[in-house]
Amino acid sequence: MTGSRLLLLFAALALLPLAVACGGDDDESPGTSTPIGGTMILATTTSTQDTGLLDVLEPMFEERTGTDLKVIAIGTGAALEMAAKGDADAVLTHALSSEKKYVDSGDLVGARLVMHNDFVIVGPESDPEKLKGLTDLNAAMKALAAGGGFISRGDDSGTHKKELELWMAAAVDPRSVADREETGQGMGATLNVADQKGAYTLTDRGTYLALKQDLDLVVLFEGPAPLLNIYHAYVVNPEKHTGVKRAQAEAFVAFMVSPEVQQLIGDFKRAEYGEPLFIPDAGKTVESLGK
Amino acid sequence: MGELFDGLVEALRLIGSGDAELREIAWRTLVVSGSATVLAMLIGVPAGYALARGSFPGRTFALASVNTGMGMPPVVIGLIVWLMLIRSGPFGGLELIYTKQAMVIAQLIIAIPLVVGFTAAAVQALPRELPELLKVLGAGRLRTLWLVAKEARLGLLAAVMAGFGAAVSEVGASLAVGGNLQGDTRVLTTAIVLETSRGQVERAIALGIVLLAMAFAVNLTLTIAQQRNRA
Amino acid sequence: MEIRLDGVRVERGARTVLDVPELVIRSGVVTAILGPNGAGKTTLLRAIAGLDRPAAGSILIGDRPVANGRVSFAFQRAVFVSGTVGQNLQLALRLRGIPSLERDRRVAATAEELGVGHLLGRDVRRLSGGEAQRVNLARALVLDDEVLLLDEPLAGLDAPSRESLLQELPATLRSRPRTTVALVTHDRDEAARLADDVVLLIDGRVHSAGSLQAVFSRPEDAESARFLGWTIVDWEGAVAGIAPGSLAVGTGEVEFSLEVEAIIPAGSRWEAVGRIGGSPARVGGDGPRPQAGPLTVSARRPDLLRLDGGVNVKNTGRTIGNR
Repeated sequence: MTGSRLLLLFAALALLPLAVACGGDDDESPGTSTPIGGTMILATTTSTQDTGLLDVLEPMFEERTGTDLKVIAIGTGAALEMAAKGDADAVLTHALSSEKKYVDSGDLVGARLVMHNDFVIVGPESDPEKLKGLTDLNAAMKALAAGGGFISRGDDSGTHKKELELWMAAAVDPRSVADREETGQGMGATLNVADQKGAYTLTDRGTYLALKQDLDLVVLFEGPAPLLNIYHAYVVNPEKHTGVKRAQAEAFVAFMVSPEVQQLIGDFKRAEYGEPLFIPDAGKTVESLGK
Repeated sequence: MGELFDGLVEALRLIGSGDAELREIAWRTLVVSGSATVLAMLIGVPAGYALARGSFPGRTFALASVNTGMGMPPVVIGLIVWLMLIRSGPFGGLELIYTKQAMVIAQLIIAIPLVVGFTAAAVQALPRELPELLKVLGAGRLRTLWLVAKEARLGLLAAVMAGFGAAVSEVGASLAVGGNLQGDTRVLTTAIVLETSRGQVERAIALGIVLLAMAFAVNLTLTIAQQRNRA
Repeated sequence: MEIRLDGVRVERGARTVLDVPELVIRSGVVTAILGPNGAGKTTLLRAIAGLDRPAAGSILIGDRPVANGRVSFAFQRAVFVSGTVGQNLQLALRLRGIPSLERDRRVAATAEELGVGHLLGRDVRRLSGGEAQRVNLARALVLDDEVLLLDEPLAGLDAPSRESLLQELPATLRSRPRTTVALVTHDRDEAARLADDVVLLIDGRVHSAGSLQAVFSRPEDAESARFLGWTIVDWEGAVAGIAPGSLAVGTGEVEFSLEVEAIIPAGSRWEAVGRIGGSPARVGGDGPRPQAGPLTVSARRPDLLRLDGGVNVKNTGRTIGNR
């Protein structure tokens, strides 16, 4: 390659950084409703993202408000920590007991109940620990502790926290459970591991339904109230954390409980799976759920 | 084995169908990692040259740092850049977190030690007298750098390939500072992580194939350029 | 272009490697900077070229300080950029902004002069040692600068290559009367065949400087004499030197005892190599070869030179004037 052609190629390549620099955030066209603009960071959980619900809601919100919504899906623990440091503007999580701490400390405000689904225990069809048919949750947990293999998320997510709560309620030390392993990964990956090993795991119904056709796992235990998976949306307290985008965050929370979105949540993938993935709950109280 | 094969077939179908999201992610990967590599060269080549030929206090320290940088786990760099850019961090006010620019920064930092190291090695392999020769022949400083680079082009092209390879295969850092946002900061590597985490094996395989093809294509082009200049 | 050094000192770390209080290199002639290895010859040349900045003193080319001077420098080792001989010769002219037609003309002419005209299209990696050195010289000459600096131009060449260059170079260099040439060498023969003036450098100091005739026939001190091949002896209570080649076998005006170490046969003649009082000496003779051991030799008074400062005094830096 001659010197001048090489120079030309180099110059073309050198323009790439400019493309990145000017590319910036993909601009959304201003919505028909109240355009607010700007950007905001939503910290949420991996299971919310895994079902694909946010993939639908995000563009809708962006179109409505003209706000660039950055959805950071990490574990519940990490999401709440982000809120505590003011690194996010709004939070959508499903670990009420953990969330309470952050509400008490004044990091989260404007709580709204958004939706719920439930957790189920899935396992191999052979069901070696004979979970099917049991009705008592603690009995089921004790049966799991005896053997058969259990795969945990182990990633400080809402699902993981729920699992630990269940062990505690049944007076079982998780570390003493035979054949229990932690993947440290999302629900989809964890389900795959359980599937491959023919073991049990605790999963939210939504993710299970989404992956059911590729798995040999079946639902072996469901129902009791503690298995409810309840989602709340919060605004990160702008009084406490000065960088928080108040207008955008409040708009997001309002968006999640708006009638149109609630309807959408209830219908989400219902036709595909024959049952709803989420039950919309705006306006209800936590106590009234599951009854 | 059957699942792997099914995955491959489905993946090829996805690629062949010209899936829009796939194309978008692939293009973004090229732009982000390409930019990081170009910037790494712009900074790293002069630095490598100075390191190879200079004699200044702290040179040994600098050399050791470069070698350490080459061995540093990229995810650690990602973590550090993330801590710098989040709102509660020292550069939070720049609002760079979860943007493509942040990814370029992280990948750039990861690639630079490689570029510096390769360049220094290439320059040191040149005859000692070369820069002085060019000086007495009348070349100014910039011209000398350009001519020396031309003489060292075999090594420099290796530096580009190494830098790009590091940047494009980076997962942890890109994930941490980019946030893997759909339509914004999702690149091939972070998309693979996501799809795997979701259990979407076919899409993950498809992304993997595209990534391998891209890396190979880039390296093939550069290798052709490198070998042709061997004359 | 005259080259003037004033109070020049070059240091490497704590050591002073070059100390030249005063030196003038005449314009338009060929000056050999001669001395043993490590004497500082290359250092001196590089300082004149502007490649190394002296710790003290000034160097002027014409009336301009070195930093702005335009000199041609040929390194000891022939280093090229990748490409052909022609491209390398063109490079310097290109860097000086000389237009293409003129470049081609000068490259062709200079290449012819140095006998490498037929190699213009050859890749530089495929040159023999002798060819490479000629191209190296051609590159320096093609610039046609007023000052030409050559560092050991015949280094590393085999005998035939060296011999042919030694024959051709004087004419080539003298065909440029405006050019001041300074070349570094450690070889007396080279200096004698190529140069008009000589600067004798030993251990970083100029021991003598002047015309070839003056420097070679009257060394300033024992060190200079020794380097120039003289045998150093004690004579009449003083240090003196015997001019090389002036010894004869047998008795004569001034007699010495040569301790013979080796005999080199040469047809019907022979050369006895050994020492007189520890200083190397040789003598030629014919007839029956002597044994190893003491051999009486003699020299004539005019071939002996007192070196202790009694007769010739100055021992550092001399301006070249009329000697």
